[in-house]
Amino acid sequence: MSDPLSAHLKRLIVETLRLEDVKPEDIQDDMPLIGSGLSLDSIDAVELVLKFEKEFGIKIRSSEESRQALASVSSLAAFIRQHADPARLPV
Amino acid sequence: MSAPAPTSAPVRLARNPGPSWGYRFLRGCDRVLPEAIFRPLRGIGTAIAVAGMPEQRRHSRDYLALVLRRPPGWRDVWRHFFAFEEALMVKLRVINGRPHRTVYGPGTADFRTWLEGGGPVLLGTFHVGVSDLLGCQIGGYGLQQIYVVRQRVGNSHDIDKLAERFGGRLHFVWVNEPEEMLFALKEAAATTAAIAMQCDRIEFAARTEEFEFLGARRRFPFTIYHLALIFDRPVLLSVGLPDGPAGAVLHSSPRFDPRPGEKRSEGLQRARVHFQAFLRQLEELLFQQPNVWFNFTPLNPPAAAPAPSIE
Repeated sequence: MSDPLSAHLKRLIVETLRLEDVKPEDIQDDMPLIGSGLSLDSIDAVELVLKFEKEFGIKIRSSEESRQALASVSSLAAFIRQHADPARLPV
Repeated sequence: MSAPAPTSAPVRLARNPGPSWGYRFLRGCDRVLPEAIFRPLRGIGTAIAVAGMPEQRRHSRDYLALVLRRPPGWRDVWRHFFAFEEALMVKLRVINGRPHRTVYGPGTADFRTWLEGGGPVLLGTFHVGVSDLLGCQIGGYGLQQIYVVRQRVGNSHDIDKLAERFGGRLHFVWVNEPEEMLFALKEAAATTAAIAMQCDRIEFAARTEEFEFLGARRRFPFTIYHLALIFDRPVLLSVGLPDGPAGAVLHSSPRFDPRPGEKRSEGLQRARVHFQAFLRQLEELLFQQPNVWFNFTPLNPPAAAPAPSIE
């Protein structure tokens, strides 16, 4: 059964970036988001970071931190679990 | 106008190739030499620069051939270099404390409204005339905090001193690390400051698109509009053209505003129309004053051409 946070993040990625050719279920948990895989660029990364900061009340302070967090949906979920208020996480 | 081109890899540029002491030397000479002597000396220095900079000379010729609509001669190239040198002198004189006035050109009502009222905005400008001085002056206007996005080069004495001159309202974000730049802009966008960025050179642009300019479809940075839509900020494009030895005329675009609820694709399409309109305006200005676009690097490449690489 899919992790609720990962499923929520996939929906957010598709909605935030308006990915017309990608469905949430097309994104694998370990698929690279930046560069290869989903092929997101630095503008996409900033847009996602803004969305996640607002959604989960977290702060991503540098491109290095964003690179680590946005490496994949799994790493993003781990980052958010580590930094977000648990009350803001989907159950 | 077309779909976004892929991000170009950053390239290393030989920028401001003069000696590191050059700006200080010019400022010192300007303090002690009468202009009747100093100006001819600058002309000779410019001729030496033209002779000693074959790459820049070639790019100058390529640009001038388009804007003059004829093959440029040696004197045309010298004038182009000298116009750059004179714009530099204007900046150095402002650093030395001389007054510099900017007047509003036609069609600048939106810019004037913003300048007088303040508020967050993305300011796009070009390597034209004294445009970067204009950005610094906005920082010194007393109303605005302004973040200026620039390429960090070895010889940036002029910009460093202008920053000192215009005090703590002027901040710099360096583009040499594009991803770090975007995060710095994210932080700046959390404030009400204005953010100024160059919109003509594509080396460090995160997103580029093609527009009609000087007889071809050419790639230009388009990042500013993506940021406008992401950060929900308006865009104003402007250039400052020299107006005598101590003045400039401001030319600007109407304000581009993101619209609440608008689809991103529709916002970007409006943005393309906005940018293309300003490029047409800029083209007209360049046909009147060909020497003011300081294009000593490869001209924006036509569609489907690879990104330029200069060493």
